[in-house]
Amino acid sequence: MNKIFAVIKREYFQIVKTKGFIISTVLAPVIMIAFIAVPVLLSVKSTGEKKTIAVVDMTGQVFQEFDRTLAEYKMKDESRRYTVQEFRPTAEISGLRSLLSQKVLVNEFSAYIFIPDSILSGGEAEFVSQHVSDFDEIKRLSESLNRVVVGLRLKKEGLDPQRVSDYMKHVGLKTIKVTPQGEKEDVGGTFAMAYVLVLLIYMTLIFYGSIILRGVIEEKSNRVVEIVLSSLKPFELMMGKILGIGAVGLTQYAVWALIGLVMSQYGMSMVTSLVPAASGIKFAIPPYIFFYFVVFFILGYFLYGTLYAAVASTVNNEKEAQQMLMPITMFLVLPILLMTMVIKDPSGSTSVILSLIPFFAPIIMFMRICVLMPPAWQVALSIGLLGLTVVAMVWLAAKIYRIGILMYGKKPSLPEIVKWIKYS
Amino acid sequence: MYALEIDNISKRFGNFYAVQNLSLKIPLGTIYGLLGPNGAGKTTTLRMIMNIIIPDEGKIRVLGRTMGEDMKQRIGYLPEDRGLYPKMKVGDILEFLGEIKGVPKNAMPGKIDYWLDKFELTGWKTKKVDELSKGMQQKIQFIVTIIHDPELIILDEPFAGLDPVNTKLIKDIMLGLKDQGKTIIFSTHRMEQVEMICDNICLINKARMVLEGNLAGIKKQYGKNTILLEYEGDIGFLRNRPEVEKIDDYGRSAEIRLKDKADAQGVLAGLVGKVRIGKFEIQEPSLNTIFIEKVGRSEQ
Repeated sequence: MNKIFAVIKREYFQIVKTKGFIISTVLAPVIMIAFIAVPVLLSVKSTGEKKTIAVVDMTGQVFQEFDRTLAEYKMKDESRRYTVQEFRPTAEISGLRSLLSQKVLVNEFSAYIFIPDSILSGGEAEFVSQHVSDFDEIKRLSESLNRVVVGLRLKKEGLDPQRVSDYMKHVGLKTIKVTPQGEKEDVGGTFAMAYVLVLLIYMTLIFYGSIILRGVIEEKSNRVVEIVLSSLKPFELMMGKILGIGAVGLTQYAVWALIGLVMSQYGMSMVTSLVPAASGIKFAIPPYIFFYFVVFFILGYFLYGTLYAAVASTVNNEKEAQQMLMPITMFLVLPILLMTMVIKDPSGSTSVILSLIPFFAPIIMFMRICVLMPPAWQVALSIGLLGLTVVAMVWLAAKIYRIGILMYGKKPSLPEIVKWIKYS
Repeated sequence: MYALEIDNISKRFGNFYAVQNLSLKIPLGTIYGLLGPNGAGKTTTLRMIMNIIIPDEGKIRVLGRTMGEDMKQRIGYLPEDRGLYPKMKVGDILEFLGEIKGVPKNAMPGKIDYWLDKFELTGWKTKKVDELSKGMQQKIQFIVTIIHDPELIILDEPFAGLDPVNTKLIKDIMLGLKDQGKTIIFSTHRMEQVEMICDNICLINKARMVLEGNLAGIKKQYGKNTILLEYEGDIGFLRNRPEVEKIDDYGRSAEIRLKDKADAQGVLAGLVGKVRIGKFEIQEPSLNTIFIEKVGRSEQ
C-alpha cells in the first residue's frame, strides 16, 4: 500500500508542480469570467458620456414630451445624460438643417433629430450624427421618441396611452420545473449549468485520459518501467498512476468550485448592481447534481483511465496510440452528439437504453439526471452496471498492461492482445 | 542455503520457448555470470527471477524462500532496458525509487548522499535527469539498484555502453559488494569481464543451458591445450602441422588449439626461425573460445 502511495504522490506532484497546471487551473476560470464580465462592464461603461442633441420639431407637439422622457436617463451624479435643445422651424427649413449639420460636424452637438409633420400619421423621424453605429444609444432615443409619438397618436384618437400599453403588454411564459419536492421556477440557469457540467465531464475524461496515455508511453519509451517494476507489481504502478492523475483532476475541480463559489458570492452581486436585468438569472444547482457529477466523473474516469492505460501499454509512441484510441474516443463523442436528443426526450426508450450502457452512462445518465430525475432503479442500475464494468476493465487492463508494458517493437494486433489476456 | 535456486523453469511465448528446462543453484556470496548470445533467454530468466514474468513451469527460490512480491525489497535489479524519468531531479528520483524499495524515510538522505559521493555525482543532486550525460545516468541507475542494501543483486548487461573508467568503477563496486557478502548475478556477452570477476558461470543458448559450473573448473576441464601466440610474419603453414586442431588467427596474435595429447613443443620448434615470436604461452582456452565453440555446436 505504501508503494502505491509513493506512485500516487510522484504522479500527483509531477503534474501539480508544473507551470502548465497552475496556469490552466487558475487561468481557465479567470478567462471564463472575463468572457462574461468584460462585455457587461463595457456596455455599462459606454453609458458614461453626456450628449447634447439638437431637435427640430415640425409638429410643435413632440419636443416637450420628448425632453421629459429623455430626462429619465441620468448620469451617476444625477445630472441629465441627454440634453436636448429645440430649434424652431424657420421658413427656409433646408437652410436650418445644413446649419445644424455644420454644428454636428464641429461637435457642438453630438447629433440632431428631425421630426417631420407627418410623424403623427405614420412618418419617420431622422437621426443625423457623425457616427450612427452606437446601436444602444439609437435604440434608447428611438424608444423614447416612439413612446411620445404613439402616445400623441392615441390621444388624437381619444384613447388613454397608459391603458392601451397595459392591454398590449407582452404575455410571458414562465417555466416551472416540477420535482417531488414541489414546483419551482426555473429560468434556465440550472439547465445551463448542467450543460456545462456534462461538457466538463466529457472534456476532463478525454483530457486526463490522454495524460494517463502520455505518462504510460513516457515510462515505456524512457525504459524506466522495468526499474520501477523491480519494486512493485505492474498493477500497483498502473493503479498508482491512474489514482494520482485522478487526484490531480479532483484538485482542479476543487479549485474551480472554490473560485466559482467566491464568484457567485461576490461576483454576482457585482454584476447585478451594474446590470439589474441579470438578477433574474439564478445559478442554483441542487446539491444532488453535484453528488452525481462526482460519482459519474469518478466511475467514468476509472473506466476510461484504465482503457487509456491499457492502450498506452501496447504501443511504442503516441502516433501508434491514436489509431487504437479511435473506438474509445467514439464512445465519448457519441453521447455528446446524442445530447440534444436525450435532452428533448429524457425518458424515451432510446435515452433509457443509452443511459444504461456503461460506456455511455457517465455522460448520458448524468445528462438525464440534470434534465429530469429518472426513476431510482434506472439510476441504481446504471451505476451498478458501470461499477461492474469498471471492475472488469481494471482486471482486463491490468492483464494487458502487465505484458504490454515490457513489450518493445512491433505493435501487437488485437488477436495477439487477446492471447496475452489468456496467457497471463 | 543458496542465494538462488532455479528448478526446471520454462517460459513459452506462443510456440516459442524463451527458456526451457533451466535449473541452477547460486551459492551465497559469489559472483555468477549468465552468458549467452543475443536472444538466448538471459533477460527472460532474470525477469522470471524478479517475478516480472511468471514461469509456465518450475520453481524459483530466492534467499531460501519462494519468490514473491515481498522478496523484491531484498533484491536489487538493474534491467537491460533501463532509463529514468527525464524531467525529475536526481535527488527526487532516488528518493522515489528508494521509497518503493522500502528504504526508511529518515535513512534516505544519508544513503543518497553517500552513493552520489561514491560515484562522484554530488553536485548533480538538484539537476534534472535529462541534463546528465548518458554515463552519469547509468551510474544513477546503478545507485538505484543498490540503494536499499539488497542481499542479492541482479544486473542485466551492467557494462553495456560504459567507458573503461566507469566500467572499472562499477567492477570495483561489484567486488566490494561481494566482500560484504552480497551475491551478484549478472548477464553479459563480454567474456573478458566474466573471466575477471566471476566465480561461477552458466551459458545459455536458444533457451537451454549448455554449460554450467565453476569458472576455473570449466577451464580445467578443457585442459591446457591452447597456445596463445603473439608474432610477426605469416603462420599459415601451421595449419598443416599434425598437432594443430584449429587456429584463430588475428593477424598479430593467434589462439592455437591442439589436438588431444599433442605436444606444444613441436609447434614452437616449427615456429622458430620462420616468424618473430613475441609471446608463446600454453594455457587453458579463453572463455571466448569455449563460448563460440559451445554456441556454434548447439547451432548445428
